[in-house]
Amino acid sequence: MAGVELKKIVKKYGNTQVVHGIDLVVEEKEFVVLVGPSGCAKSTTLRMVAGLEEITGGEITIDGRVCNTIAPKDRDVAMVFQNYALYPHLNVYENIAFGLRIRKEKKANIEASVEEVAEILGLTEYLERRPADLSGGQRQRVAMGRAIVRHPKVFLFDEPLSNLDAKLRTQMRAEIKRLHKRLGVTSIYVTHDQVEAMTLADRIVVMQDGRIEQIGTPMELFNNPVNTFVAGFIGSPPMNQIDAEVQKSSTGYFVEIDGAKIKLPKLKELEGAEGKTVVVGLRPEHFELGKVKGLNNLPVELDLVETLGSEALLHAMVANTPFVVKAETNGSIDHLEDISTVSINTDLIKVFDKETGLAMGHPTSTNS
Amino acid sequence: MENMQNRMSWLKEHLRNEWQIYVMLAPTIIWFIVFLYKPMYGLQIAFKDYSIFRGVANSPWVGFEHFHTLFGSDQFLRAVKNTFMISMLSLCFGFPMPIILALMFNEITNQVFKKTAQTIVYLPHFISTVIIAGIVITAFSPSAGIVNTFLEWLGFESIYFLIKPEWFRPIFIGSGIWQEAGFSSIVFLAAIAGVSPSLYESAVVDGASRWQMMWKITLPAILPTIIIMLIIRIGNLLEVGFELIILLYQPSTYSTGDVINTLIYRQGLQGAQYDLAAAAGLFNATVAFVLVMTANTISKRYSRTSLW
Amino acid sequence: MTNMNLYSRGDKFFVRINMVLIALFTISTLYPFIYITAVSFSNGSEAAAGNVVWRPLGFTIGAYERVLSEPLFWSSYVNTFIYTIGGTIVSLIIIIPGAYALSRRQLVGRRFWNLMVAFTMWFNAGLIPFFLNMRDLGLMDSYFGLIIAFACNAFNIILLRNFFEAIPSSFEEAARMDGANEFQVLWKVFVPLSKPAIVTITLFCMVARWNGFFWAMVLLKDEGKIPLQVYLRQVIAELQDDEEFGQSLIDATYSFETVTSSIMVCSIIPVLIFYPFIQKYFNKGIMMGGVKE
Repeated sequence: MAGVELKKIVKKYGNTQVVHGIDLVVEEKEFVVLVGPSGCAKSTTLRMVAGLEEITGGEITIDGRVCNTIAPKDRDVAMVFQNYALYPHLNVYENIAFGLRIRKEKKANIEASVEEVAEILGLTEYLERRPADLSGGQRQRVAMGRAIVRHPKVFLFDEPLSNLDAKLRTQMRAEIKRLHKRLGVTSIYVTHDQVEAMTLADRIVVMQDGRIEQIGTPMELFNNPVNTFVAGFIGSPPMNQIDAEVQKSSTGYFVEIDGAKIKLPKLKELEGAEGKTVVVGLRPEHFELGKVKGLNNLPVELDLVETLGSEALLHAMVANTPFVVKAETNGSIDHLEDISTVSINTDLIKVFDKETGLAMGHPTSTNS
Repeated sequence: MENMQNRMSWLKEHLRNEWQIYVMLAPTIIWFIVFLYKPMYGLQIAFKDYSIFRGVANSPWVGFEHFHTLFGSDQFLRAVKNTFMISMLSLCFGFPMPIILALMFNEITNQVFKKTAQTIVYLPHFISTVIIAGIVITAFSPSAGIVNTFLEWLGFESIYFLIKPEWFRPIFIGSGIWQEAGFSSIVFLAAIAGVSPSLYESAVVDGASRWQMMWKITLPAILPTIIIMLIIRIGNLLEVGFELIILLYQPSTYSTGDVINTLIYRQGLQGAQYDLAAAAGLFNATVAFVLVMTANTISKRYSRTSLW
Repeated sequence: MTNMNLYSRGDKFFVRINMVLIALFTISTLYPFIYITAVSFSNGSEAAAGNVVWRPLGFTIGAYERVLSEPLFWSSYVNTFIYTIGGTIVSLIIIIPGAYALSRRQLVGRRFWNLMVAFTMWFNAGLIPFFLNMRDLGLMDSYFGLIIAFACNAFNIILLRNFFEAIPSSFEEAARMDGANEFQVLWKVFVPLSKPAIVTITLFCMVARWNGFFWAMVLLKDEGKIPLQVYLRQVIAELQDDEEFGQSLIDATYSFETVTSSIMVCSIIPVLIFYPFIQKYFNKGIMMGGVKE
């Protein structure tokens, strides 16, 4: 099976360790996205898979074969670079054919392969053009064509969309997804954009400072972030995180935020935690506007309403922390201007340990 | 010991994987050793009584004898003085010209005129020294030269410029400016091109004249380039164009025109006094080295970037 | 900024004065070329009397006839082409791979090798040791000797190395993942990507070779091997010393001035033909000349 496996991967530059023992299994045909802020070593990890960076410790297996010392060209992987690395002196055809020519494929084979790839990517009419005469999206497609044409076992993408404008990025994102469905090749994709990660990935790997924070499907990460970092990273706008002291009442545990009682979900970790400070996580999308019976009501004093079209972002300060609520506009924002209370269901509230940042009641953290 | 062994095996592995870049490097390194470093080894004859038959290595040492001879020789001291005089004068007159030219080119609004003028003033840079000398000899010739024709037309007496010591330096420096001023202005033009147009636009809005903009915006903006170029020039002070001097000077103009390298040429290559000439060359190279290193240090301090 | 109508009266005056000064400088740059061309086509006696100013007087191609009938002129002309073309090819063969290797991060001792190259810009042994070395190597008086001895220099190597270093590493990495070895990366990726730098170096080499005379004069004894510039110098030196030549040919179609001028014109013509190509690239080349270690 053409999967990729990383076992305790370590990378050091001199005495500086940048990757701290990463374990990751990418299944065959899976689309895995490595996401994290810049400097989290996601690109370094990808480049170790490609063979462009030496592996300091651990083992990388591609298709069941250990590749630590195998040259990049012999790993049967193809990479799409951030700047595409298209050769400006070659036309589209020659750019796509470059790898095949280097490998001394037969001329007829090259022609057939390039034409097939051009067909798939809709580049047939541009084959004679130089990269300089192409639009950003077309260049991006040529870069992918160069990867596809070799029929590699694994595709590696290093922030391939970050040089495109917002509109093209959305469009190319969909194209990459379609292509993956069509070709079904194992793919590892690096980005700093969580929206890209959410839309593309079968599974997302959230990284920070050379460590994996959480691995899971997009919905798993959204619904059950393992810690405050993932909670803040996944989702747009990010989850509101408010520090509060746990209190106990006859019906269970609650916190008080700006004078409002917010009931916390039933969690094993909360037992006996009275007086302890926790981080309460409230997704902007999970609120209802106004006072709603049976839900936790939170008073908010809006200082700004941002219109996005069908939705609007309501900005406020809650417990001296910036606070955002996402609301539907229904064609007008007039009714949003004088909102003074929002409500949330207890079941949707996340609670994190203030000291460790770990989520309470998380499916994985409860085991450990 | 084990460390050493590890390193050796790593090196072996490295060479097996990367032998190609060493194959590429080899010709360059061999060339530098054979043609530039081997002569440095040969420099030892400056301290030896060199004989062709014994060769560099086997000639007997004589210590600083050649240097004593040199510093006791009027000819050498004159050459040192001439070298500094000619290079200082070249610096004073030759250095500002390209800057002035660049500033002037920048003020030209007619693009066709600008391009044409630039094309012409860059041209002499690509002309051989021998031709420059040929032109000078023809133009300054006493009977046939245009310069004397012009002087006579103005009512002056004609002058045999090329045998007059007092005329040697002006002619040499003038032909240097003629050949290089235009081409050297490219660096400053490039610096001027890097000045943000919005600076000029806001000056126009403030009502500045072209003259004021040149002094208050352009010149300060290219000042770092000017200083760097000046430092480079000072570093290369001793590199007077001795090839042109060899072609222009005559025994009668040695008193103002003979520089260290021309003296080396005459004594060493024409007179076969190799060891003495090599000593003069070593003196020249050492002073030049100190100048270059000093210039680089100053430049590092000034601009935080080394020249190389 | 280029709209003259927006200029004040003072500015217009300033711009015009500036234009006049530039025009004068340009004309004085061009004039020597016009002058020697005029002299070369003039009658020997007119030229010797110093009457030629702008245009040929007593138009004749007598000087050219004499120059072109000289076998040494032709052989030296051919030699110049040999040194220029041969020398440039050899230079590129050494410089391109060398600069590439010096730009590679994986090169062991990279700092040392680079310093070894750069050091020669700051210190050189001088004329005599270089000359003796050439003699010891048996490279005097040979085409190969003159070509190989000046094939390389630190400036060109560093210029090209800097250009190579500025190429984004992803180009090399992409090629490497496609299976290219070092030679293929250099030849198929770096060389095409560095066209401006390589053209600049080619032009530097060609100009230096075409114009070089000093070492050709010192190293070559065999007249059959000398290049044009050395031949020109010999002619100037010979005719200048030869008082009789000037006297006896007063009425002749050629004189010292017209003969040397016509050789100079013949030597400049190839430069003028190449000049437009050179001009296109040297702006870029100078920009890259901001050499840094």
